Amino acid sequence: MFLALKEIARAKTRFGLLVAAIGLLVFLILFQQSLQNGLITGFVGAIRNQNAPVLVYSVDGQRVIQGSIIPPDLEAELQTVDGIGEVGRIGQGTFTGLPSRSSETFDTTIIGYELGPDGQGLGAPIELAGGRYPTQDLEVVASTGGDFEFAVGDTIVLQPGGFTVDVVGIADDIQLNVAPTLFASYDTWSNAVQSVNPDAGEPLPNVIAVAPADGVSDVEVVGAINARSLDFDALTRADAASETPGVAQVQQSFQLIFLLYGLVVPCVTGLFFLIVTFQKANALTLLRAIGAPAGRLVWSLLIQVVLMIGGGLILGTALYYPLSQSRLGGISLRFETGAVIFWSVLLLVLGVASSLVAARRVLRIDPIEATTGAGVGV
Amino acid sequence: MNALELSDVRKIYTMGDGSDVVALDHASLTVADDEIVALVGPSGSGKTTLCSIAGGILSPTEGRIVVAGEDISDYGDKQLTAFRQQSIGFVFQSVNLVPFLNAKENLTVVDELGKRTGKVAQQRADQLLEELGLADRKKNLPSQLSGGQRQRVAIGRALMNDPKLVLFDEPTSALDTELGEQVMELIRMEMKRRGTSAIVVTHDERITQFCDRSVHIIDGHLAA
Ligand SMILES: Nc1ncnc2c1ncn2[C@@H]1O[C@H](COP(=O)(O)OP(=O)(O)O)[C@@H](O)[C@H]1O
Ligand SMILES: [Mg+2]
Repeated sequence: MFLALKEIARAKTRFGLLVAAIGLLVFLILFQQSLQNGLITGFVGAIRNQNAPVLVYSVDGQRVIQGSIIPPDLEAELQTVDGIGEVGRIGQGTFTGLPSRSSETFDTTIIGYELGPDGQGLGAPIELAGGRYPTQDLEVVASTGGDFEFAVGDTIVLQPGGFTVDVVGIADDIQLNVAPTLFASYDTWSNAVQSVNPDAGEPLPNVIAVAPADGVSDVEVVGAINARSLDFDALTRADAASETPGVAQVQQSFQLIFLLYGLVVPCVTGLFFLIVTFQKANALTLLRAIGAPAGRLVWSLLIQVVLMIGGGLILGTALYYPLSQSRLGGISLRFETGAVIFWSVLLLVLGVASSLVAARRVLRIDPIEATTGAGVGV
Repeated sequence: MNALELSDVRKIYTMGDGSDVVALDHASLTVADDEIVALVGPSGSGKTTLCSIAGGILSPTEGRIVVAGEDISDYGDKQLTAFRQQSIGFVFQSVNLVPFLNAKENLTVVDELGKRTGKVAQQRADQLLEELGLADRKKNLPSQLSGGQRQRVAIGRALMNDPKLVLFDEPTSALDTELGEQVMELIRMEMKRRGTSAIVVTHDERITQFCDRSVHIIDGHLAA
């Protein structure tokens, strides 16, 4: 501890630069982690954070809600699958909305679900951030975040139908395709669709929300539905979110970036400590010669590694915190505590592992080298 | 009890091409308690090799080494490390100070390497630096000290663990004559004050006047 701390104290700039470099990388990692999660939540939050455990698409829909259409015969067939408990219709569409507090119109996504007696029928947002669930037509739960910050009490005029909906509740993370999203009654959605194309008649539901019967698991009911007809594409809630086209690609791109960071950080620390170890080889040899156990010197190295990475993690997190409270385009960022813990543990482990090269160099020092060399020096 | 007994010590280096260099040949040397022995010989005669073996940095090819009653001939690396830490004081030919530690810390670091005594070590370091005339240089880094001052810090460092035997490898070679003699005077004073034995390696005959006895070494052979 003595040696480790004294050395850092006497070379503040050098070690400070390392902490700054690690801190910057940690900041970038955490920021991108938030960005990834914000992006994906912006895209499929409406699927992830609605209460139906299973969603049934038509195969033709290719796992896009709006592209999927469930005709009546398929809907009827679904009812007869074993293990099904409750079912409910879900429709989705995008309309032009003009909020009462805004002079600008927005593309607004409406998700219609069958409200049920308490507004929490299948397809409702799992959790509200404020207000209450809709109990009748023309009442909606609006997404927070996005281009326009909805509040309970707002009204929104939907075009081209020209009817007004009331925001009675708001919920976080329920956007679809990074657009302001309103959860409304199925009929509200249906009327909005018909206002666009009055001659088309009543629209068909896009997907069917399913809850398994008591004692049946989500996965079992998904299997049963898909086994019944090749036209069904049933997915659990989590799969429906992650299988939405684009989500996997976004995740893969970010994973590649994270992999690179996961390599860069240990490379930086590993190289730094290897160079430092070479530079102070004379001092280490001297210490070994006057009776320092090799383990003591390695320990001192590891203390420094942990302190530097720890410092970098604190710095990176401190930089990340204010940014994580902000919003980027339509995407709200979050402070991801889980990501902070995950990366802290991972980077500490990788950093210590990377310094093993330097540690090996320390262990290989032969104290006899202290007796050679020329001239009195330091 | 004698501070050092070397009996029939041989050290053979095997070179890269397979040939052998006999650095020490059947060397026997006894250093009595409280004795300062000058080890005099030309360059390459085996002085450093002898000190390294006596100090437990190097293992001999043959022979026995007993330091203050402790036979270290068959010690392994770990035992030798602990032995050096507890029983030997070194002043090396070249690197003697840790560059990122100040004068006092270069002394107290010795305490950090073994069982810590903390305050006792702090006091001992203060006292040694005082005796060595470095009381006002405690906070200076080695780079802020002159050659003579650095050598004095090195002497203090060598005495920190209250060694049974101190090995000085050409302690004055980098100093001018006057400074060299001052340092030798200091060494003699510190050794005698504590009753500590020492070997002082030199190729300078004038240095021997500060020692109790001289031993000459040529091509690995000792001669009194
Ligand atoms: N590590 C080594 N490998 C091979 N030969 C060595 C080694 N160390 C010393 N020698 C040889 O051993 C002899 C004695 O060296 P040394 O003890 O350093 O002499 P001195 O200190 O008297 O100048 C020299 O011939 C030197 O070249
Ligand atoms: Mg020598």
